[in-house]
Amino acid sequence: MRKEDSVKLISAEGFEFVIHKEAAMVSQIISNMLTSPGSFAETEHREVTFPEISTTILEKICQYFYWSLQYANGKETEFPIEPELTLELIMAANYLDT
Amino acid sequence: MSNQKKRNFQIDAFKHRVVVDPKYADKTWKILEHAIHEIYNHNASGLSFEELYRNAYNMVLHKFGEKLYNGLVATMTSHLKEISKSTEAAQGDSFLEELNRKWNDHNKALQMIRDILMYMDRTYIPSVHKTPVHELGLNLWRDTIIHSSKIQARLQNTLLELVQRERTGEVIDRGLMRNIVKMLMDLGSSVYQEDFEKPFLEVSAEFYSCESQKFIECCDCGDYLKKAEKRLNEEIERVTHYLDSKSEVKITNVVEKEMIANHMLRLVHMENSGLVNMLLDDKFEDMGRMYNLFRRVPDGLSTIREVMTSHLRETGKQLVTDPERLKDPVEFVQCLLDEKDKYDSIISNAFNNDKAFQNALNSSFEYFINLNARSPEFISLFVDDKLRKGLKGVSEEDVEIILDKVMMLFRYLQEKDVFEKYYKQHLAKRLLSGKTVSDDAERSLIVKLKTECGYQFTSKLEGMFTDMKTSHDTMQGFYASHLELGDGPTLVVQVLTTGSWPTQPGVTCNLPAEMSVLCEKFRSYYLGTHTGRRLSWQTNMGTADIKATFGKGQKHELNVSTYQMCVLMLFNNDDRLGYKEIEQATEIPTADLKRCLQSMACVKGKNVLRKEPMSKDIGEEDTFFVNDKFTSKFYKVKIGTVVAQKESEPEKQETRQRVEEDRKPQIEAAIVRIMKSRRVLDHNNIIAEVTKQLQSRFLANPTEIKKRIESLIERDFLERDSVDRKLYRYLA
Repeated sequence: MRKEDSVKLISAEGFEFVIHKEAAMVSQIISNMLTSPGSFAETEHREVTFPEISTTILEKICQYFYWSLQYANGKETEFPIEPELTLELIMAANYLDT
Repeated sequence: MSNQKKRNFQIDAFKHRVVVDPKYADKTWKILEHAIHEIYNHNASGLSFEELYRNAYNMVLHKFGEKLYNGLVATMTSHLKEISKSTEAAQGDSFLEELNRKWNDHNKALQMIRDILMYMDRTYIPSVHKTPVHELGLNLWRDTIIHSSKIQARLQNTLLELVQRERTGEVIDRGLMRNIVKMLMDLGSSVYQEDFEKPFLEVSAEFYSCESQKFIECCDCGDYLKKAEKRLNEEIERVTHYLDSKSEVKITNVVEKEMIANHMLRLVHMENSGLVNMLLDDKFEDMGRMYNLFRRVPDGLSTIREVMTSHLRETGKQLVTDPERLKDPVEFVQCLLDEKDKYDSIISNAFNNDKAFQNALNSSFEYFINLNARSPEFISLFVDDKLRKGLKGVSEEDVEIILDKVMMLFRYLQEKDVFEKYYKQHLAKRLLSGKTVSDDAERSLIVKLKTECGYQFTSKLEGMFTDMKTSHDTMQGFYASHLELGDGPTLVVQVLTTGSWPTQPGVTCNLPAEMSVLCEKFRSYYLGTHTGRRLSWQTNMGTADIKATFGKGQKHELNVSTYQMCVLMLFNNDDRLGYKEIEQATEIPTADLKRCLQSMACVKGKNVLRKEPMSKDIGEEDTFFVNDKFTSKFYKVKIGTVVAQKESEPEKQETRQRVEEDRKPQIEAAIVRIMKSRRVLDHNNIIAEVTKQLQSRFLANPTEIKKRIESLIERDFLERDSVDRKLYRYLA
């Protein structure tokens, strides 16, 4: 994965996820952050910190990003969600406009 | 949710981060406000999108949406006010540039602000029905800047002035214009229309009204049209370069109205350069331009068409009534054809082959060709001329072209039966004298007439061709059975079916003895093979080739008419003959005899006879003798009779009468046909239907139709209704 194709997402606990930019763009908000015409800090450094999202949730979210890309390609599978995470995941989804 | 298995699990009560700090909202807003300032000051690189988004998110989440929204409006307004001031301060030409730059800045800032406030845009704004951030930004820009008292008028004037400058030939910054116009459009089409388009159209109308007035005073029609076209194209180009495409129709309408519609009649009738002059001088380009421009305005094309039609009718009328023209029928028809060609090429080159124009052309021709009652005769004479000599050495295709043109003129004729009469006469002469250049051309024309007017029209003409063919066979049969005739004079007989040919009253002359013997032999041969027929000799239509030896032994072969032959044969026995003697011996009708003597004694180069006294005309007391000194460059000498090519006045009357006579049964037949199917019909309808039925042949005269109806009533074909005298009933 080349540097310019990747983004770094950092969880509340400081855990870093490096994923494809294409996957991150599934979130409307992350997409805006990375492509905003003004040069925000995130746009320049290609990393976004989420002080309100825990590592577990962020990991799940990253998985979702990739699943969604696949899904967009027409491959229909189910995305497993553990019930314990449901609520927090919903909150995060709302936040990320995903 | 994918996991449907029953499993007990617990969800922890969601712990809202309790807002402890009552000043939380103010604090958060301060951060955002600061960020907005920084964005406007191009200082965003230090800001964290995520942080700002999170703050805005939390504010909305914690029911501070309204505070956030109002804060945004206030902050943005104050920024825009500053921009407004700095733009106002811009001097002269830099005003637009400044405005454009600020507009770009504002747009960029607006997008960033919308991005960080996206959560508000998504949730809060729809729920309270407020204006979304982007639209809000545009509205504020419109109200604070574009509609500010100092900028609104200035902006409008600057734009209009730039357009004006471009119209006078200056080069302006079109890119800048496009950006500004696009800004107005982005602010809503009503802003574009109110703040720019409307005044633009008004100013343009005024401008073109003045300019067209100026042009029309000093330019001729062609130049004016060129200028108008140029202006029109400029405006269209302007629209594509920097105006909204919807404006194209509006601005072209303005130009069309001011420059064309308002001056249309004056242009068309302009002295020395108007449409009539263009038509006369074949100015295809100018006319094409006029067509294309006038097409854009209501009634434009009909105006052109009316002028063209009236001009065409006028010149056509002059042409067909000009006594000079009537002297030479061939020339006359050629003129008509030239005129038609000219207008055909005008319509195809300049008027886009417009159907309406073609119709106008056709109706005009129909109108003036029928003004001259001799047109049918002349057209037939034209064909006659072409088929006698005009088509020699012309390729088949060209022949077709000429014939097609003739057919076109024929189509314009109302009295087609008159044409048929003449055509039959001329065809008969051609066939009998063997003068036809091309049999194919003759037949081709017959086929054309047939497709145009139907079988009936040409059946007799075709009969003539058949007669020629059978006569040829008969002659072969005759000579095959009379082998002993090989040495004497040769007789060629054409047997003509009565009715198919235009026969003249059978005046026969006395043939020379050598010939009468031969004729009698043929008669007995023919009647022997065809019983129940009658042969009568039409000596007035024949020709003869005779060999003659003159005084000093010069030998010539003379091609003469039968009458001339009879006269010349007399001189085998006598040297001198008086007029009376000739008349007595031959019994040729006076008029024909005079004509035939004239052609042999008075035409230079063909004067095989001499007469005393020498004069141009033949008198009853004249004496004739063989011209011993006759010489000619050619061995074969053709002596034409002095034929009146064109019919003389009494002949014309006669033909006319015959035509009228022929029409009577046709009208009667039409009436009977109509009444047979309708049983009962009133007078006006009969007239209308009869006229319609006979249209392809001639224009029936209503009084004549009435006479025919009366005649049919007398003969018990029809009766008047006993109650309504206007109704006729058919009696089977």
